[in-house]
Amino acid sequence: MNSIVLLRIGRLFILLLLQVLVLNNIHLFGYITPLVMGYMVVCFHRGTSRVEILIWGFAIGLLCDMFSNTAGMGAAACTLIAMIQPVLLDRLSPRDSEEGLIPSITSLGFWNYTFYVFLLMLVLHGCFYLLDAFTLVDWPLTLLSIGGGSVFATLIILCIELIVHARRDPEHHS
Amino acid sequence: MRALIDLIIHNKHWFVFLLLEVISLVFLFSGNGYQKNVYFTTANDVVGTTYNVISGITSYIHLQEVNQELEMTNEQLRKEVYLMRQQLETMQQDSVKRMPALPKQYDLVNAQVVNMTLHKTNNLITINRGEADGIRPEMGVICSRGVVGIVYMTSRHYSIVMPLLNVNSKISCRLRTSEFFGSLVWQRGYSNIAYVTSVPRHAPVKKKEIVETNGYSDIFPPGLPIGVVQDIGDSPDGMSYFLKVKLFTNFSTLREVSVITNYDAPERRTLEEMATDPAKQDSVLINQEKQKELEKEQAASIIPVTTNENPINTDTVR
Repeated sequence: MNSIVLLRIGRLFILLLLQVLVLNNIHLFGYITPLVMGYMVVCFHRGTSRVEILIWGFAIGLLCDMFSNTAGMGAAACTLIAMIQPVLLDRLSPRDSEEGLIPSITSLGFWNYTFYVFLLMLVLHGCFYLLDAFTLVDWPLTLLSIGGGSVFATLIILCIELIVHARRDPEHHS
Repeated sequence: MRALIDLIIHNKHWFVFLLLEVISLVFLFSGNGYQKNVYFTTANDVVGTTYNVISGITSYIHLQEVNQELEMTNEQLRKEVYLMRQQLETMQQDSVKRMPALPKQYDLVNAQVVNMTLHKTNNLITINRGEADGIRPEMGVICSRGVVGIVYMTSRHYSIVMPLLNVNSKISCRLRTSEFFGSLVWQRGYSNIAYVTSVPRHAPVKKKEIVETNGYSDIFPPGLPIGVVQDIGDSPDGMSYFLKVKLFTNFSTLREVSVITNYDAPERRTLEEMATDPAKQDSVLINQEKQKELEKEQAASIIPVTTNENPINTDTVR
């Protein structure tokens, strides 16, 4: 239990730094900024208490907000995907899978996992940029940043997943 | 009642969700990051400190550039200080004591140390400026802290400097307060210690006195700091002091140096060459004779006037 909390705290800080120091400085085509902080929520295994997911999601959202001066936007968006994540994971996981299934390319299959991540990212970016657009009226631009950001963030998460698994897999087999 | 509690417990995630969303939206819509919720913006201490650290790291990347700029400014200022000091000196001097004009300015060429040894007997420094930049052998090399050495060899784009830390290096120097002069030599061993020899025994030497260039050589202008006297000893023959000097220049971290390119007026060098070279001395003598002849001619042209005057004078005396 303790090690899980530590792992989550570590993941929280790594994602926070990645988001704030690297990705927040990327503005692809001028307005596409991927929000990879959502990976925090993507990682929760099946059967995690929903309140727990909500609190972790809220935490990373709020921390990112603090660093990027987007008070509340990230927190609201991350809380929203934290609400959806368990439902979506339930739908997408194989029927005969165990209770504590960890969402990954191997456990869900590549396309299922990509779809799962992309949906969550779409909701995250949608929520984030729509809240942002309360002050901006240029909706094609909002749509572009939602779509582009989701695709970009999904790609980054798949990369992270591949890298982490390349390292973690041998341990699983042993 | 019980059913209600059950409902709440069963659906607690919905309540938590709504609560968190409401909190988020309150943050978002209550003044969006102005004074009100300064804790949730980059104005927060923790966030500010983090960014500070990060900018510290990123600024490290640009440090070299900044360093070079600073070195340039330093050069400029040092030159200015030197000029000012010269001016001040000439202004403070009595009209009686007024010296012939000192070299009014000198140019510095910035260079970077690209290679250096510290622990050999004959240490040499390579710098990344050469003949193309106007550097010639026997030019003085200094850094922001003090004297570094003398240019020894030059190629088109690089030069080798013989630093103070070379047993063959010998630089004439003086004590700042008493102006007694000696020469600075180095003995193999420490890279921050050198020795001043041939300071006469009657010189008032104190510890912590600053040793500087004396300007006798045509390499360094006078007054550039070299080091500080750390220990006073006697030379083997007992005729002079043997001073242990802690050098100002930190050779182990030396990177930016500058070469004094035009301190030496070529006039002086040719004059000195003439003084030591017999062949040239002859030419000087010839010149002097020519000069005398000229003077005689001039005198001859004046003589008629004086001869006119003399009889009158003699007459009056008579």
